[in-house]
Amino acid sequence: MYPRTLASQEYFATREIKEALDILSLYGNEIKVIAGGTDLLVQYYDRLYDVSGWLDLRCIKELKEIKINEDKMIIGAMVTHAQLEKSEDIKKYLPVLSRAAADIGSPQIRNRGTIGGNIVNASPAGDLLPALMAYGAQFKLLSNHGEIVVPAGEFFIGPKKTILKPDQLLVQIMIPLSCEIIQGSWIKIGKRKALAIATVTLALVVKMSEDNKTIKEARTCLGSVAPTPIEIKEIGQMMAGKQWFQLDFNQLSQLAEDMIAPIDDIRGTKEYRKDVAKRIMIHALKEIDSAWRRCFDEQISNRINY
Amino acid sequence: MSKLVIELIINGNKRKIETSPSTRLLDLLRDDLHLTGTKEGCGKGECGACTVIMNGELVASCLVLAPQAEGAVITTIEGIGSGDHLDPIQEAFIETGAVQCGFCTPGMILAAKKLLEENSHPNENDIKRGISGNLCRCTGYQKIFDAIKLAANRLEEEERGGDKKND
Repeated sequence: MYPRTLASQEYFATREIKEALDILSLYGNEIKVIAGGTDLLVQYYDRLYDVSGWLDLRCIKELKEIKINEDKMIIGAMVTHAQLEKSEDIKKYLPVLSRAAADIGSPQIRNRGTIGGNIVNASPAGDLLPALMAYGAQFKLLSNHGEIVVPAGEFFIGPKKTILKPDQLLVQIMIPLSCEIIQGSWIKIGKRKALAIATVTLALVVKMSEDNKTIKEARTCLGSVAPTPIEIKEIGQMMAGKQWFQLDFNQLSQLAEDMIAPIDDIRGTKEYRKDVAKRIMIHALKEIDSAWRRCFDEQISNRINY
Repeated sequence: MSKLVIELIINGNKRKIETSPSTRLLDLLRDDLHLTGTKEGCGKGECGACTVIMNGELVASCLVLAPQAEGAVITTIEGIGSGDHLDPIQEAFIETGAVQCGFCTPGMILAAKKLLEENSHPNENDIKRGISGNLCRCTGYQKIFDAIKLAANRLEEEERGGDKKND
C-alpha cells in the first residue's frame, strides 16, 4: 500500500486512525506528526524544508471530540485549547484544566494548539500538564501492536522527552470523574499575561469525603520547576485524611518550596522559582479555602431550611 | 521536494494553488497569491502580524502549513471592506489615530473584527484579551482600544439604523 521508503517530503493527511498507525509503523522514525503546529513550526522555523515528511491529523474527526463516558471525561488528542477553554463540561467538571487552557498563549495559539500536541511536546513548561496530572489523567497510546494506557505522571521522562515510541500515536486523554466534591486552583506565573512561557505553574486538586470536611485525596502539581511537570507527593500525603480546617497552609507551602529543584534560566532564577512556588501554593490553598467555606455554609443553610 | 495542489476559499474566491508540504500559509498568501497585506513579524506566532481568519477562527498564518489549510475558508485584510468602501473598524482605526507604522494594523483589524463578531460590547478587558496575540510597538495600544470601542459603537448604531428601516 505504502512504499517502503519515504519519498522526499511526503505529506499524509489520513481520515482514519488505522491509516495513521500504518504510516507510523513504516515511517515513524522519520516523519513528524503535526497537530496544531504551534510548537512544531516554531521549533522548525528555519528548517521546515529539512523535515522528511508530515503526518497531519486534522482529518481524523474522532480525535476532535470531548465526551463523557460513564465516569470518565474522554478528550481527543486533537481537541484545541480554545475548545477546552469554552467547553461547558470541562468548565463544570475540570475547571482547573479549563483555566489552564485559557491561560495559554493568545487567541491565535489557543485556536490551533491542541491538548495532544501540548502533551507530546512535553515541555517542562507545558501549561496543561500540571492540571492533567493533578486530575489523575491517563493517556491512551495506540500502535499497530495494540493499545497502552499510561498515567500522566509516567509519560514524561525529561525535557521534551516522553515514553512515546515512534510507531505510537497519542489518541485520547482520559480523566476520571467522581461524585465527590472536588475543589481546585490553577496559578500561572509568567513575564506577561499573554504569550508567556510559564516561569512557574501550579495545579492543586482536592477531593473531599462525603462529609465535605475530610480530605480524601489531594494532588499538587507544578510546571517549570523540574525537567518534567511534577507532582509533590509529600503534600498529598500530609493532606490526605486530615480535616480541611486543620491544615497548616504555611507548612504545606513550605513543602512546595523544599521539594522542588528548579534551574536558573531566562525566565527566572532557582531561588525566585522556589519563593514563588511557596507563595502560589499559599494562594491556591486560600482560594480553595474560600470556595470550601462557601460550599460548607451552603450545605449548613440547606440543612437548616429542611 | 514533492509538490501538491490545494484548494481553498480566500476572501470569497475559490483558489487552486500548487504548493509544497513545508510552505507556510503565510508564504502561500504573500508569495503565491500576492496578498501582501498579511505581514511577517516574528515568524513564531508571538507578534500576530500574520493573523488571518481561517474557518471562522483567528490564526497565526506563520504557524499553519499550507496543506493544513486545504479546503479552508480564509479572510485576509484584503477581504475586509472593499476598494472604495472601508469597514467601520478600518474607519475607526484611521479616525482615532490607531495606525502609526501600520505593520501590526492588518492583524489588529482582523483580531478586532473577530472580537466584535463574538462580543459586540467589549469592555476594556475583553478588548485586551481579544488582541492579546497582536503586538504593536508604536501606539502604546490606547488608541487601538479607542478605535475598537468607536467601531463597536458605530456598528451598534448601524444595526439600530438597520432595525428602524426594517420597522
